[in-house]
Amino acid sequence: MNRVMINPKVHSLHNYRRKTTNMIMLVLAGVSTVIAIVPLVWILFYVIIKGAAALSWDFFTKLPTPAGVPGGGLANAVVGSVITVGIGVIIAAPVGVLAAFYLLSSQTKPFGQVVRFATDVIAGVPSIVMGIFAYTLIVLPQGHFSALAGGIVLAFIMLPIIVRTTEEMLKLVPNSLREGSLALGATEWRSSFSIILPAAFNGVLTGLMLAIARGAGEAAPMLFTAFGNPFMSVSLNEPIATLPQTIFVYAISPYKDWQAKAWATALVLIVLVFSLNILSRVIIWWRARQLGSGNR
Amino acid sequence: MDKDQFNKPVVLPKLASLGLTHSDLIPSVEPDIKIKIRNLSLYYGKFKALGDITIDIPKNKITAIIGPSGCGKSTLLRSLNRMNDLVPNTHIDGQIILDGENIYAPGFDVVDVRRRVGMVFQRPNPFPKSIYENVTYGPRLYGLRKRSELDGIVEHSLKQAALWDEVKDKLNQSGMTLSGGQQQRLCIARALAVQPEVILMDEPASALDPVATLKIEELMQSLKESYTIVIVTHNMQQAARVSDFTAFMMIDNPQTRTGKLVEFNVTPQIFTNPQNKQTEDYVTGRFG
Amino acid sequence: MDNEFNIQEQTSLSLSTRLALFWRHGDQLFKAIIIIAAALIIVLGTAIGYELWINSELSRKAFGLSFLFSTRWDPAIDRMFGAFPFIQGTLVTSFIALLFAVPIGLGVAIFLAELAPTWLSRPLGLLVELLAAVPSVVYGFWGLFAFIPFLVRPLSESLNQHLGFLPIFQGPVFGPSRLAAGLILAIMILPTISAVSRDVFRAIPVTQREASLALGATRWETISQVLVPYGLSGLLGAVILGLGRALGETIAVTMVIGNNLDISSSVLHPGYTMASIIANEFTEATYDLYLHALIEVALILFIVTLGMNMIARLLVWRVSGKTKHEARA
Repeated sequence: MNRVMINPKVHSLHNYRRKTTNMIMLVLAGVSTVIAIVPLVWILFYVIIKGAAALSWDFFTKLPTPAGVPGGGLANAVVGSVITVGIGVIIAAPVGVLAAFYLLSSQTKPFGQVVRFATDVIAGVPSIVMGIFAYTLIVLPQGHFSALAGGIVLAFIMLPIIVRTTEEMLKLVPNSLREGSLALGATEWRSSFSIILPAAFNGVLTGLMLAIARGAGEAAPMLFTAFGNPFMSVSLNEPIATLPQTIFVYAISPYKDWQAKAWATALVLIVLVFSLNILSRVIIWWRARQLGSGNR
Repeated sequence: MDKDQFNKPVVLPKLASLGLTHSDLIPSVEPDIKIKIRNLSLYYGKFKALGDITIDIPKNKITAIIGPSGCGKSTLLRSLNRMNDLVPNTHIDGQIILDGENIYAPGFDVVDVRRRVGMVFQRPNPFPKSIYENVTYGPRLYGLRKRSELDGIVEHSLKQAALWDEVKDKLNQSGMTLSGGQQQRLCIARALAVQPEVILMDEPASALDPVATLKIEELMQSLKESYTIVIVTHNMQQAARVSDFTAFMMIDNPQTRTGKLVEFNVTPQIFTNPQNKQTEDYVTGRFG
Repeated sequence: MDNEFNIQEQTSLSLSTRLALFWRHGDQLFKAIIIIAAALIIVLGTAIGYELWINSELSRKAFGLSFLFSTRWDPAIDRMFGAFPFIQGTLVTSFIALLFAVPIGLGVAIFLAELAPTWLSRPLGLLVELLAAVPSVVYGFWGLFAFIPFLVRPLSESLNQHLGFLPIFQGPVFGPSRLAAGLILAIMILPTISAVSRDVFRAIPVTQREASLALGATRWETISQVLVPYGLSGLLGAVILGLGRALGETIAVTMVIGNNLDISSSVLHPGYTMASIIANEFTEATYDLYLHALIEVALILFIVTLGMNMIARLLVWRVSGKTKHEARA
């Protein structure tokens, strides 16, 4: 039969072309990675340079001065962020962790699938839509903006993150641990709380950290819930300022000193968010390694 | 154990005195050597996986590499088509000479080595594409595009792999719909489609049932007329059935765990009259 | 359910014994609590859709489907509302975002998953993921003060100069524009696309790569002709997930898009997106129809992003399903 031969002479030129294409593509892949990192580096540098110039201890201790008057700080926004995120965590953490326990024990049950689906739905809701939801649910009936509403909307946003991360971390705990505890006669919930949860504690912590990093940075939902407040407030029923919302208002304002403060705020926010992110990833990586080698 | 064992050049003894009847396994002249492995040592980082291995792989014969698990059989096999290059931190001393050229020489065309030295893996790994596309994957890389040419290659390769009759009416079906044995023959056809000179098989039938295994072994016999075949197997009976030459490998000691060549000879010799005590212990089943 | 002790005996039990009993019977309570927690999630998910639906009723009833196509957004005089300018703006900015984020994101995923050694891919991967951690408002701020003046504006002016005959590059060039928003969105969704794609590549069995390379294929040929087809549905899922995020992104977009009801086809002009109109006008919605119209925009956003996320997860799922099927064969 007349077979087509792969002719070494002909295809060595073709091979050269193939190798060149290969090299070009691999280089392009590397170049895209560089391009991807450039904005990160740029943002970091810019925020650090502009923010450090305007940052001082006053930032955390003093209240805002009127526009155009230099000095002052954003102590109210710092406190506001702590309060709103705190409320969010207090609400979302127990519900999220408990729900994660449920998901862990119901991998195939239909109700579990529905819960999983609902978690995905909530995770995918744009934060501004979440803000609208909280507005119709809380602000409208109450008739005023409030720190509580801000905390609640953050709880909604944080919830899916906590559920997902906790579940992932609980799954990492070797089954043998749970079975061993049950075999000793401990009840399900005791096993869960005294054995599994501590084993997964780091993981749960990282879930909380990632959720806090997300919640602390949200500005859009705050516009319709906490709304903002130029004065210091710790009341749950009053509107309250938060760091991201302050950046938003100050950044688009025409006042140079407000813009400077916004840079300082941005720096504080980025440092907070990045630290939480990096720390939690380190913990996850370290934990997975620990448990992985323990499983051998 | 004599240390010189490992450095002796390969010698093919006359076997008439053994009274064997497979005369085609008894070379009266030295056969052509397709691949000369010379003092090959391979390091994964600091770990010396292969120690100073020297073997002549004869052309158009089936050479089996046997030995207990972990002795480096697969590592040796993968060195023959430079698949070990894909593992980070690997380092080679020595040479592997294919038709007179050292494939590890700097600047040697790796891509071409892999075409000339094809490989079939332990678990069948067809692409999730049609049977036709699986076989034409290789040739198309080399610029063969015309439908008529490709059709011819597909038919020829599948016939060589003893799969044509079973799939000729369903070439457009996905390769994943075939049985395990058929998938493995598809992988063989795929490897044949790029017209290699050597076919490496890494425990090709270990994931298959006995009937499929038999088919693969028959296939090997028919393929050796046109190709040089090197197979790694942990199944001694298979090696004894199928191969013309056998290389027996072992680790030198439990601390360093470097794989060494203990003995290389025509297959009947290895199994009925091994020169080395370790070989004898292995083939008689005293360990391994 | 143990009922070993009758009531009289229970009241005479010591505290420690009672706690021990509770410990043992706590299981029922525990199971009930976690089911309640799980159910709360379902309640929340449905509540969001429900609230959005009923609080947009006035607008839905008043305008029906024409809400999607009408370009009249006139809260002050005629009290007519049409969301087309925002839908158009959202589509344009998201398209621009995908145009840049998909090739670069895939390139990053390929580099990190297939080409880079581990000591490089882990830190680089972390850096790319940190991009996702930057709060939206910081992106907007940086966008206004650094990205637009130093990159987007010069780029826009040069596009306008050389290609201004094309309708999409017509001037005049201001600072904020749809192009700026699209580019910033690209940066924001890039980590999503690259992280999910990376996972898709990791889910493909090593044996596929071995098979291809053993046939003499180059690395790139293996990636483009074996891996990408294998993982195609997952990669598509990654893109759709990225798109879902781009659609809903608010603050950064609001700060750099100019918030103008412009519906010309030029990307160099300012514009509006669904998310940013809500952010801008919500607190000024002084009457119910206005409010409901804005909430209807939020409803549309909710439904669209929901749909995208569902499709995306389905697609990513299919790649791991393929791998399991192969292992069974």
